[in-house]
Amino acid sequence: MGGPVARFVLRALAWLPVAFAVWYFAAPLLLWPAKLLIDVIARLWFADIIRGVEQTGAIVTFVTTLKPGQATAASGAVAIDVNALLYSFGLPLYAALVLAAREPHWPRNLAIGYAVILPFVAWGVLADFLKTVAIAAGPLVASQTGFSAWQREVIAFAYQFGSLILPTVVPAIVWVITHRRMFERLRSASP
Amino acid sequence: MIRFFITFLVLQAALFGAELTPWAQQFFVVPWTNTLAAISANLVTLADPNVIAIGKVLRSNTNGFAVSIEAGCNGVEATIVLLAAVLAFPAPWKNKLIGLAAGVVAVQGLNIVRVISLFYLGQWNYKVFEWAHLYVWQALIMLDVLVVWLVWVRTLPRARDDRDGGPPASGGVRPPAPAAAATA
Repeated sequence: MGGPVARFVLRALAWLPVAFAVWYFAAPLLLWPAKLLIDVIARLWFADIIRGVEQTGAIVTFVTTLKPGQATAASGAVAIDVNALLYSFGLPLYAALVLAAREPHWPRNLAIGYAVILPFVAWGVLADFLKTVAIAAGPLVASQTGFSAWQREVIAFAYQFGSLILPTVVPAIVWVITHRRMFERLRSASP
Repeated sequence: MIRFFITFLVLQAALFGAELTPWAQQFFVVPWTNTLAAISANLVTLADPNVIAIGKVLRSNTNGFAVSIEAGCNGVEATIVLLAAVLAFPAPWKNKLIGLAAGVVAVQGLNIVRVISLFYLGQWNYKVFEWAHLYVWQALIMLDVLVVWLVWVRTLPRARDDRDGGPPASGGVRPPAPAAAATA
């Protein structure tokens, strides 16, 4: 491994625990804009099944119009909790990469990354909720959502992509885009 | 730069979609995951003989604790990301193949460390296991992929990239000053 890359990796590893600690304790605040975005999307496209979106710490709760069983009256509604930390750990990864790069304008780069990553956090949380009600909750709940077979396939793919790929890949992409000069320097230096 | 990222994203989505098909699961992902568990068990038994692999499960015969290697922890997705990044970047095919071979070894090597470490963290403290499993190791594996890719990019012949107008040049980034290049 080349010198500049090795030093960059060591700095990133040193920053990761700090970034993870800040992310964990500031999660209620950091994730609040993502909750707002989820709320807007829920009102625009899923108003028939989502009555409200609430946030408690890092948990986003979807209050639905769906009934838990066959009873249609006075049986309560289904509420689904989603842990937003599962889809936002890219934030500390990105922060560690930015701080390890030691480039000028790092506060601006942090802000850009935060703004770009948040919609993908919303994607993951929303896809998790949709997967739960449309697939995992069973036929009694799933039948009330009105999703067709192909829509459930799309939801399954969105959930898998949003949980296995996006949380880590998006920060890496944003980092490369916001650090093209450093990328060029790394390429130029002898291996 | 734009061309690289579009190619990267398309390749990644296509490979990930292919990975989810029953055919790929049956003939690639499941055997891969089982092999990963077997390799992990073989390594662990060098120091701890009471560990066995059953399919994708790594199990301790001492206390019955077991971990099942599921999607996201088998390194397939990380390998897909690396594969897409290497294939999308303009480079001679020989370099791509070398980069992929070395990169897969590096990513899967660290992934085995992840599996083994989680196996023992789970026996020690479940909360620590959860944190390491859900957040920390995910970030470390992606950092590994990024570093492998950066190291690979540094080995590429510059002349070709300059002739081709490689990704950074097409992204409008000026080449670095010689002094900066020498000290980087």
